[in-house]
Amino acid sequence: MNNDPKHHPMQNQKHRIKHELEVWFAERSWKPFKFQKEVWQAIAQGESGLLHATTGAGKTYAVWLGALISFGAEAQSKTTSKHPTATTKNNASNRVLSAKQAPSTSLPPPLTVLWITPMRALAADTLRALQQPLDFLNQRMLINGDSAATFSADAAAWSVGARSGDTATAERNAQNKRLPTVLVTTPESLSVLLSRADAREALGSVKMVVVDEWHELLGNKRGVQTQLAIARLRHWNSKLQIFGMSATLGNLQEAMHTLLGHYGGSLIQGQVPKKLVIDTLLPKQVERFPWGGHLGLTMLPQVIEEIDKSTTTLVFTNTRSQSEIWYQALINARPDWAGLVALHHGSLDRGVREWVEAGLKSGELKAVVCTSSLDLGVDFLPVERVLQIGSPKGVARLLQRAGRSGHAPGRPSRITLVPTHSLEIVEGAAARTAVAAGQIEARSSPSQPLDVLVQHLVTVALGGGFVANHLLAEVRSTAAYANLSQDNWEWALNFVRQGGASLSAYPDYKRVVPDEEGIWRVPDQRLARRHRMNIGTIVSDASMAVQYLGGAKIGTVEESFAARLKLGDCFLFGGRLLELVRIHDMTAWVRRASGKRPAVPRWNGGRMPLSTTLADAVIAQLALAGAGEGDGTGNSRDQDDGEGRYDSPELKSLRPLLKLQQAWSALPTPQTLLAEALKTREGWHLFVYPFAGRHVHLGLANLIAWRMAQHAPRTFSIAVNDYGFELLSATEVDWVMLLPMVLTVAHNHIAEAQEAQTHDDEHTALLHEVLASLNASELAQRRFREIARVSGLIFQSFPGENRSSKQLQASSSLFYEVFRKYDPANRLLLQAEQELLANELEINRLLASLARIGTLQLVLKILVRPTPFSFPLMVERLREKLSNENLADRIARMVAELEKAAGGSTTTDNIAATERVKDSLVFGGDGNSGGKGNATNNDGNGLREGRSARDIRGRGRRERKPTKPSKPSKPLPSL
Amino acid sequence: MMKAASTTKVHWAGIEVHLLAERAVWWPSAKTLFIADLHLGKAATYRALGQPVPGGTTHENLARLSALISHHAPQKIIFLGDFLHAAAARTADVLAMLDEWRALHAEVKMTLVRGNHDSRAGDPPSRLRIDVVDEPYLEGPFALCHYPQQHNTHFVLAGHVHPVCRLSGRGRDSLRMPCFVSEARQATLPAFGEFTGGWLVCDQPGRRLYPVGGEAVWCLPATDV
Repeated sequence: MNNDPKHHPMQNQKHRIKHELEVWFAERSWKPFKFQKEVWQAIAQGESGLLHATTGAGKTYAVWLGALISFGAEAQSKTTSKHPTATTKNNASNRVLSAKQAPSTSLPPPLTVLWITPMRALAADTLRALQQPLDFLNQRMLINGDSAATFSADAAAWSVGARSGDTATAERNAQNKRLPTVLVTTPESLSVLLSRADAREALGSVKMVVVDEWHELLGNKRGVQTQLAIARLRHWNSKLQIFGMSATLGNLQEAMHTLLGHYGGSLIQGQVPKKLVIDTLLPKQVERFPWGGHLGLTMLPQVIEEIDKSTTTLVFTNTRSQSEIWYQALINARPDWAGLVALHHGSLDRGVREWVEAGLKSGELKAVVCTSSLDLGVDFLPVERVLQIGSPKGVARLLQRAGRSGHAPGRPSRITLVPTHSLEIVEGAAARTAVAAGQIEARSSPSQPLDVLVQHLVTVALGGGFVANHLLAEVRSTAAYANLSQDNWEWALNFVRQGGASLSAYPDYKRVVPDEEGIWRVPDQRLARRHRMNIGTIVSDASMAVQYLGGAKIGTVEESFAARLKLGDCFLFGGRLLELVRIHDMTAWVRRASGKRPAVPRWNGGRMPLSTTLADAVIAQLALAGAGEGDGTGNSRDQDDGEGRYDSPELKSLRPLLKLQQAWSALPTPQTLLAEALKTREGWHLFVYPFAGRHVHLGLANLIAWRMAQHAPRTFSIAVNDYGFELLSATEVDWVMLLPMVLTVAHNHIAEAQEAQTHDDEHTALLHEVLASLNASELAQRRFREIARVSGLIFQSFPGENRSSKQLQASSSLFYEVFRKYDPANRLLLQAEQELLANELEINRLLASLARIGTLQLVLKILVRPTPFSFPLMVERLREKLSNENLADRIARMVAELEKAAGGSTTTDNIAATERVKDSLVFGGDGNSGGKGNATNNDGNGLREGRSARDIRGRGRRERKPTKPSKPSKPLPSL
Repeated sequence: MMKAASTTKVHWAGIEVHLLAERAVWWPSAKTLFIADLHLGKAATYRALGQPVPGGTTHENLARLSALISHHAPQKIIFLGDFLHAAAARTADVLAMLDEWRALHAEVKMTLVRGNHDSRAGDPPSRLRIDVVDEPYLEGPFALCHYPQQHNTHFVLAGHVHPVCRLSGRGRDSLRMPCFVSEARQATLPAFGEFTGGWLVCDQPGRRLYPVGGEAVWCLPATDV
């Protein structure tokens, strides 16, 4: 570096800032990590890139100090050039970063760095972190200044600010006049800025965009929105630098490419994570016939023991209702922990959540039961342990949660899995192996979602307008729209201009139109205002506030849930039992209740499927256990022969279950597909274990049922879990002959129709089959709600209209129907179908599973009685039909019978078992089976009738008719 | 079990009326047709507000109404409110379509019981020869209203809420259908209009639901009291 101040004042300033920042580091006894220096250098060389590391590893300062070194001087030099009087003789190096040397008329440098964070809540903490080195620099400039007169006391050369939905109006107004030098913001707020008429003036000065927690945005529409915004900024400044920060993913190169929009860039590996411990809290006694859904509460005493042993513990659950139940159970078991143990989930009021977060930061809380609401966010130093109740579902998710612990120096991150049923025990060993082998899930950007594009078109039309061809090139510069077809582009343009492809279909409608010069603009001010208020891609569930009578707001519940409650009903919320007093003005007014049986709120979501990466690791573990035990046909009954490998504590504890599975059937391996056929009083069962996650299993099960029905009319009942699925038929099915036929990728007649099949053809053919096999239009309609909202068909809120979110939902389905009938070619409908297939049915994974199944050896076992693997699937199906009371009795009876058949080695006191099962069902089983105290669903009648008409037809044995209306159908995964 | 027929006969106020799959009620002995919530011009209203809704709904509404008239040959049609959706719905297109439609059925007597949308949209043009009255409009044993309500002496037929109900099957199967709702002293009709949406009605003792779907009117079993 040339340090001659006379010839290279800017270089000198850069050097000076770098030096000062090193001093700042040293004062804190920090030493720059190698990766931090790498990032500084990459930024100094004008490069873009992606930095990946675990949280709390110094990522923020790697990028932030890099930006300060590179742009602190540049921004300064520009500003000073505007004030020639201040430049000449003063020691240039001292004025670094200080724009205040000119009289009060001078301003901080214009917006230079945009810092995008996925969470509003992170903005304040980020702001504080960014401010620290700036304060130091200013201080140093004052001390070292040759001439004190050069600096004013409040020399904040780089101004720093945040802009999000939480920003106060006054600050917002000030920002509208002039943005700070560094702006911390969210993707949504950035888009709002892009819709300003003077967007180019306000944002054209940006030199660098930093995207924090990119892995959180990458895979969703918010990420696409971010890609489009970056493309806009790059259009204004071709030298724009982009730096992302991400947790480790399986496809980091792709993640970087998606962010930058072009290949190349520096992929920098952060500090290698400190020691990570993954272990499992093993039950004292492993049930050989596990059944999903007792929420792991049998593990409560052990969980309490673990919490007791650590200073601060985060207890992660997979659903909000599960977190409520665990919190309640903990407090009931340890009343002395009241005030020391807290609850945190997304439906709780912000104030409550902030209180809990503060308690975590200060270390006052002993444990917090939480959901994904604490996956992200600021680091809580005191957290020592993380417990994960139930399956972690994926390796990346497990790592993310594990990373929430062990931030204090010298302490490892530790995550302990708490299985909610026996089979989940394998997942601990599987996850550990996968992490050791570096197998982590990939995350990909959605491909050209038209709704986001439509929103962006209106945004850009507001933000100064656009020339169609130029904008097309810009949009195609993003990874998400790189392959955007001319057709789709023109459709989107037509849609914002006249509603659709044909002008006559949408008379009088004009949202965006080109003016005389060919610049597309929004002519209607009212529409402009409405659009700005509805920018964004986050569509929340319709929800209703929960508030004490004459008291505080405590959070929100699903509106559909609140609608089912009758006045006087009780439900568990925020760790308290509440009684509904009245519903008014979109608020559920409640008071504290006691003594009655709670009805647990059922939130959507939490039905996340097991990831392929983790599922593969599970199969590998099972194969280890099965190794050396023959093919499981004859000699495997001799359990002392050919021992499998039970190396890990998890497998050791599971040994009785796995041995039994192998003796009665077989264990799956990476080379085989295990299927089991069983005849019971209920009918002919087929169990298949592809280990592909519940969504894929649902698709596969429906597909097979549908294909079977093409051979001969038949009705099947279906049950799925993350490991496999069940098809139950009332009439005899020759699965040995038929299963291999229906398990092919493309069905026979389709295969015949298409001689030379390409991958695309296969894909399309399968797509049609899956859509035909499911009631796809109803599912797509739900998907359409988000699309209608993002594309601006419907509006979340508009002053004076006071629409509830519920009305929005109603009108989105209305739009869906009208579009289907009167404009079936509307591409947003197509998008809804595609998103349904991609996200909820995971069509690509389904296709991959089918392709893989084609290469596997099918092992079809004829069973005498249910196996440890098939039992949970049978229970899953039963719970849809029976009340809890009946279910508990039946499960207990079935377990007892099976245990007897298995040699009765486990002491099973029938009555005690029944009680245990009943106890664990009190809370309503994972929010999926209606608890007894649950709100009576009045649609129950139609539901029951509908079922008996649809799938019980012709079954040998009559279903027991529940005396109370049964529960409604299973909720969909969250949309 | 459900019973399905394209027409379901029920007795309201001791009088036989037919619930039609076209989402209308036919009173055979009086040769009268009851239609609720037509919301003509709603799509046009939305478009005027900047929402892209495809055209064709108003045309379809009137075509369906014409088909009903040809089939039953009513002497009289009574609209239970919300004939036009809004003032913005009175576009030249919509009014021209209405004129043409009225001319086709010149002999049929038509009455509109004013609904909340009619108050804002204004009465239909007088050349359409539709008598406009306020609720309750008494005819035989029936009190014809827009808003569901109780009446001291008469059985109320009303609209306004666009009732729908939800039927759920096993697993993820579920269906939302417009429905007729009857109670002891009143009944509510589903909205006749296309593009009208609905309000979810729950089953409860003393209430009967008759969902409309698959070109049939179904009869759900009564809830146990």
